[in-house]
Amino acid sequence: MMQTTQPIESSDMQFLTVPGVLDSLDEIAKFVIAATQAAGLDKKAAYRFRLAVDEIATNIIVHGYEETANEGDVTLQVELNEHTLTLILEDTAISYNPNQHDLPDQEDLNEPLEKRKIGGLGVYLAIQGVDKFMYERVGNRNRNIFVVNRPTD
Amino acid sequence: MAFSATLETINDIAQITLSGDLDASSAGLFKAEIEKAAGQPVKHLVLLMKDLEYIASAGLRVLIFAKQKMGVHADIYVVGAQEMVLDTLEKTGFDQSVIVTDTYVIAA
Repeated sequence: MMQTTQPIESSDMQFLTVPGVLDSLDEIAKFVIAATQAAGLDKKAAYRFRLAVDEIATNIIVHGYEETANEGDVTLQVELNEHTLTLILEDTAISYNPNQHDLPDQEDLNEPLEKRKIGGLGVYLAIQGVDKFMYERVGNRNRNIFVVNRPTD
Repeated sequence: MAFSATLETINDIAQITLSGDLDASSAGLFKAEIEKAAGQPVKHLVLLMKDLEYIASAGLRVLIFAKQKMGVHADIYVVGAQEMVLDTLEKTGFDQSVIVTDTYVIAA
């Protein structure tokens, strides 16, 4: 069966460009929540999708822009088709592939809090929270792609 | 939703009421309350989460900070957490290191 990509209601809902600063997280969340509503995701899938995008956007802003004293934007693009909701998150910060991050394993997750390592939790929640996560480096841009399956009737 | 964290200290019990969205832009507010609470000996850190709508890993890192700052003998109570906040705590194994409960009554 052919898949068609349909624009979601309002054309300005499909793209968002915000400065790469922590204050933009709120606007990013609103944009992502609107996309999950348009896709008809249930509460759990919608929350996890928002969490996934928030975690990667936070890493871009904190490690890509703020810690390196670089300025740049974060852009989000939403594509909705019959079966999936796809969100593409792009930035111009230093190259960073979340798929190469050292993620906590079951042993780490069983450690008591006082022995926990600080890193890796965000990327772990991001990758766990969606049906498919992909990373591409395109020119000077990092492209993080989140895909979640839409509910079937 | 805007985040807020309000600390109340009763003897050796520090109680923080959390509401709204706890992400990387608001985690600093939560951390500041933890630092205030850790300034005195604390036996129980009680986190009232009924109105907390969202928690990201930045919020989880503050819980790690709290445990490390207050010491292993300070128990952390997570009270009345919403389903999805609890889901994140469970996914990351944090539910094993805190006491998850529906209510917390401070003994008179």
